[in-house]
Amino acid sequence: MSGVPLIWYLLLSFGLFGLGLLGVMRRRNPLLMLLAVELMLNSANIALVGFARHWDNTDGQIFALVVMAVAAAEVVIGLGLVVAVFRQRLALNVDEMSSLKG
Amino acid sequence: MNLAATTPILIVAAAATLALGVGLVPGRAAERYGPTAVAIIGLVAAAVMSLVFWGDRIEAFEGSLHIDRFSMLLNLIFITAALAVIILSIREPGAVARRGEYASLILFSTAGMMLVGAAGDLIVLFVGIEILSVSLYVLAALEVWRERSLEAGLKYLIMGAIGSSILLYGFALLYGATGTTRLGEIADALNGSALGGEPLVLGAVVLMVAGLGFKASAAPFHMWTPDVYEGAPTPITAFMSTATKAAALAAFLRIFTAGLADIEADWDLIIGVVAAAAIIVGNVAALLQDNMKRLLAYSSVGQAGYLLIGVAAGSIQGAEATLYYLLVYLAMTLAAFAIVIIREREVIDGDTVQALAGYARRRPVHGAVLTLAMLSLAGFPPLSGFLGKFLLFGSAVEADMIWLAVIGALGSIVSLGYYLRVLGVAWLGDRRPSPAERGLESPPLAGLVTVTSGLAIVALTIAASPVLDACRSAAESLLAA
Repeated sequence: MSGVPLIWYLLLSFGLFGLGLLGVMRRRNPLLMLLAVELMLNSANIALVGFARHWDNTDGQIFALVVMAVAAAEVVIGLGLVVAVFRQRLALNVDEMSSLKG
Repeated sequence: MNLAATTPILIVAAAATLALGVGLVPGRAAERYGPTAVAIIGLVAAAVMSLVFWGDRIEAFEGSLHIDRFSMLLNLIFITAALAVIILSIREPGAVARRGEYASLILFSTAGMMLVGAAGDLIVLFVGIEILSVSLYVLAALEVWRERSLEAGLKYLIMGAIGSSILLYGFALLYGATGTTRLGEIADALNGSALGGEPLVLGAVVLMVAGLGFKASAAPFHMWTPDVYEGAPTPITAFMSTATKAAALAAFLRIFTAGLADIEADWDLIIGVVAAAAIIVGNVAALLQDNMKRLLAYSSVGQAGYLLIGVAAGSIQGAEATLYYLLVYLAMTLAAFAIVIIREREVIDGDTVQALAGYARRRPVHGAVLTLAMLSLAGFPPLSGFLGKFLLFGSAVEADMIWLAVIGALGSIVSLGYYLRVLGVAWLGDRRPSPAERGLESPPLAGLVTVTSGLAIVALTIAASPVLDACRSAAESLLAA
């Protein structure tokens, strides 16, 4: 095998995972937290693909493809919930306004 | 491929799809009873098929799925929980508004759990955990008009996604260390190798314990539990605390007790510490709760700690004790939640401890079941909860982890403080002024679930030996290569 050695893939993946974890812990905005979780999932994908290259089998690549599909499903639910929360809050505010008008 | 052996999972998944379709059929009767009926029929059929496949291990999809006694026993736990929850959800506001989706999501979640129980491959395990989690994120937030439910869903989603990604990273490192995602081949790769104690393997172990700890709501990964349990619709809370916990424990047993058996020295202490932390945090925090759902949430954190003792022991005996306690825990928790659900329909603030004041005197049968559930949860001899804990502590002692058994026993004594408080309020309490009636009808068959759960607690005590035999053979099938 030639090309980039495994350790560089791993360093990149560790770095991204750490950034994602930091983001999840530091941010309080749900959208940004979702973004940080995506970073963590994708860092695992880089590690999986790097290891798949190292072991010269496809298990890791298949795993990474499955993870992409799963991550997409999670984001869809997440964005849906964020929108629903936003709408609910908006509706509450509108109610308050109308009650003030009496 | 052996498609036939996977029929229990396929039936549940098919029923989930069908329930979604039936929910769209116009007409009052179809809309009203259709999805529930489809779900119940599907679950019963899957339970029957699980009993049919109770036997030697069958490998399906070239070893990706293990159809063995372990997975069949867990199937029965998941199916019973789903069945009880579907029955308890009849006329639940969230379920009425979206009948098709509600039944369908519960079934999809159950199918995901069954995948976890049967997983022979890290990819299958991960997909199973995600199917069950993603369905539950939606279910927790299903009462979209209630801000707390939405918040519960969002919080569960974010914490669950963090747990999943940590778990996934652990899987990636384990794959990196062994070069395969098959649990059987991982066990072979670790057998007699010098991989134990390597940083890659240790990192994988820590991340997998943390990731699964999120799913099992074990301390210190439990912070989402009380808020989500309180905010989610109560039947869904019951489902999360019984079935999800069983699925997470199944994953623990499949990965650690079976897959990583040869490097036990690397993980038994880590899991033991998590178990001890969960027992201490859960039981102490539960003392301070005034809301039944929060109290049961912290209690479930403590119970997750007890269940993990059997994993930390790393033996067949430990796995057997964990499986038996999962059965007992299912009965106890369903009984407790069924009563909360009934009370919640009757009065406003029905999920507080105070709402139960004097309730046991007015409804002695429900009071008796509540008493059984609380005493069994606290581990009062001779009830099945005591027997389960006794076996778990015994497995810890056998594995030279006496300190863990001591912490477990002390935790049980502390837990008497809040379990007995609930009973004191329910039997002796008086509530003045009497609570505002909410006047919703309680679910028609809720009484049946309550009484059945109460009887199950007793039955698991009296008929403990055949049940323990079944748990034993399930635990052995886990370790049979």
